[in-house]
Amino acid sequence: MNRLDDHFDEVTGLLYLEHQLDPEHTRAVSEHLASCAACSGLLRALESESLWLRESLTAEEESIPARLIAAPERGTIQWGWVAAFGLAVGGAYTLWSGIVEPWVARAQQAGFTQGYLLTMLFFSGASWKGWDAMRSLTEFLALATLGTVAIWFLRKHWQRFTTIAFVMGALVLSALAFAPSAAAADIEHGNPSYTLPAGHEVKTDLIVAADRARIDGDVDGDLISFSSSLTVNGHVKGDILAFGAEIRVNGPVDGNVRVWGQSLTLGSAVAKNVMAWIGAAEFDEKSTVGGTLTMLSGAAELNGKIAGDVLAYVGDLSIGGSLGHDVIVRGGRLTVGPNAEIVGQTKYTGDREPEVSPGAKLGSAIQYTVPKRGPDYTRANYYLHRVFFWGASFVFGLVLLLVAPGFFADTEQASKKIGPAMGFGVLFLFATPIAALIACITIVGLGIGISALFLYLIAIYSAQVFVGSWLGEQLLGSGVGIGAAVGRLALGLAIVRLLTMVPFAGPWIHFVVIIWGLGALVLALHKRMGPQVAAAA
Amino acid sequence: MDRHQTTGAMSEAELAQLLSQVRAGDPDAWGELYRRYAPAIFRFCRRVLPTREDSEDATTEVFMKVRQKLGTYDSSRPFTAWLYKVASNHCWDTLRRRRIRQDLETGDLDTLPLEHPDPSQIERLQAEHTGKEVRGGLAKLPDRARMALVLRYYADMSYDEIADTLGVRRAFVGVLLLRARHQLRDALSGTAAAGAQKASAGGKS
Repeated sequence: MNRLDDHFDEVTGLLYLEHQLDPEHTRAVSEHLASCAACSGLLRALESESLWLRESLTAEEESIPARLIAAPERGTIQWGWVAAFGLAVGGAYTLWSGIVEPWVARAQQAGFTQGYLLTMLFFSGASWKGWDAMRSLTEFLALATLGTVAIWFLRKHWQRFTTIAFVMGALVLSALAFAPSAAAADIEHGNPSYTLPAGHEVKTDLIVAADRARIDGDVDGDLISFSSSLTVNGHVKGDILAFGAEIRVNGPVDGNVRVWGQSLTLGSAVAKNVMAWIGAAEFDEKSTVGGTLTMLSGAAELNGKIAGDVLAYVGDLSIGGSLGHDVIVRGGRLTVGPNAEIVGQTKYTGDREPEVSPGAKLGSAIQYTVPKRGPDYTRANYYLHRVFFWGASFVFGLVLLLVAPGFFADTEQASKKIGPAMGFGVLFLFATPIAALIACITIVGLGIGISALFLYLIAIYSAQVFVGSWLGEQLLGSGVGIGAAVGRLALGLAIVRLLTMVPFAGPWIHFVVIIWGLGALVLALHKRMGPQVAAAA
Repeated sequence: MDRHQTTGAMSEAELAQLLSQVRAGDPDAWGELYRRYAPAIFRFCRRVLPTREDSEDATTEVFMKVRQKLGTYDSSRPFTAWLYKVASNHCWDTLRRRRIRQDLETGDLDTLPLEHPDPSQIERLQAEHTGKEVRGGLAKLPDRARMALVLRYYADMSYDEIADTLGVRRAFVGVLLLRARHQLRDALSGTAAAGAQKASAGGKS
């Protein structure tokens, strides 16, 4: 017993009242009580407090809710899960049939004959055989949905580390999915440079990560390069996939060329298609492209021969060579030189009129269109699309709400901290892609980098859901239950959608919504992961 | 207090009979067991969990667990004690999963005031607050404090059972309960102060 001026303390009093003291202490307290009015008074107060607590807590003021009247049966179907799964599958189907499939069809028309969207987007040829197991994107989405549902069920057993386990699980799965690709190729790390000498031949795919890479020899499969500078003089029998500042292709390529970088110089024959996201591109007189050219570029000169269509978004495009099919150009400026020949139709959308040299041979006159700035508010389709976009974001939000109600509520709460959310939003909006790209460049982290970018895009899309939900709460109040949450979500998203349609201010409002929602998401994730990390430490 | 807060009285023999029927898979017996105990378990969950929806879900889930685990119930112990144990474990797990901050409560006694509280102040709080206000004040308490009070004064659990459920040492249970009482007194005093302020503001206007 702790004594203070011979009185016992409050804990001892409580333990005495609840018969939790050993006999010796009980006797001492009893003896003290006989002669101490102050302690007796305290004990009486504690005792009556105990009684008061029991009466208050055991009062049967609430009747059992109607939904609890019937006893639960074993194997009761969790309708929330069924609904979430159904919505997820429905959402995936809508995404597939409404957006992905038409896009793939269009891309196939443009000459991208790879079957699968992800393969086509990022990778090509044998090095990405890991994805070939996925018969279609729908299968992938269905698997992802099932995986999410499975992980969510399993999380009940993961008392701690849930979020970490989820993220790490996703990353590990991604890494596993990407692993076969790396195993199928010859991987070279230049230190700092890598050269494949002339006369040498790599019998499989070649993946190169180096400061400067020079390929004078032949590559039997695909060439994938993450190099600041890449020069290809040898023969590549597969595709070239290159990320880098300066890319020169002077040797023949039997497959496709796909590049992301600062500059591309093509001086040889490419049997199939060329796709380039590039600062500046130059196709010299000796260059030929057997298929199509798709290009997003600051400036480009096309002086060689291109057999298929040309689809280009180019700031300044100069055509001096021979184009065997149609040309669709959107950009700031189009110059057609005296030696140019365009067999098919040419459609050009740009601020300035095209400059066509009198010597140029054109299959038909250039169809010139001045681009319209901003959305066309007079078209009914514009509003119809807004409604579709609202519907898509609502379904997405609904799935989030049903699959992860706790996390949804956390993020909704975090949205209320507008300042910190905005701050984190700006930070992560810019820092995440940089970090992901750095991960991509270091080959080992390619899977992680691409997964991170994928999650980043999902997070950006989710931003509107959380801000919308917050907005809904401001207007409708914070009623409890799923119905109220769905109502808040629907109304809030509609208002966000309307606000982003406001001329001039709309895009800025959209930007603010993204950084706000993204920041709230980061805050909510941090709250969830923080203590678990601390607990693990 | 009687921890057997059930609908209608039932002798031990009747309960044993009912439980054996439930174990045998009799749906009517299961319905009867549920009808008797669900209200008490719902009220228990209601006092521990933050929302009514949570309590409804938890009640259903507790009974699903009861049905699964009934085979492990030791009939030499009171059934309600076992039932509350299942419910409290479930609710505590739910709270722990959701808790976003680490509960920093430890076993030290230093955080409790050594001076005697003023008994008249405790008695005044009791006189000024209804049971509903007490339950409202309870909702403002940290999870562990709220849980401790409900386990002790609603489910009538022993100190050993409370220690086992909350994962604390038995010697710490008394401290935990007293600290929870202090927190509840503070929460109610705050309500009283706010109420008095409101009344005074209303009187002035």
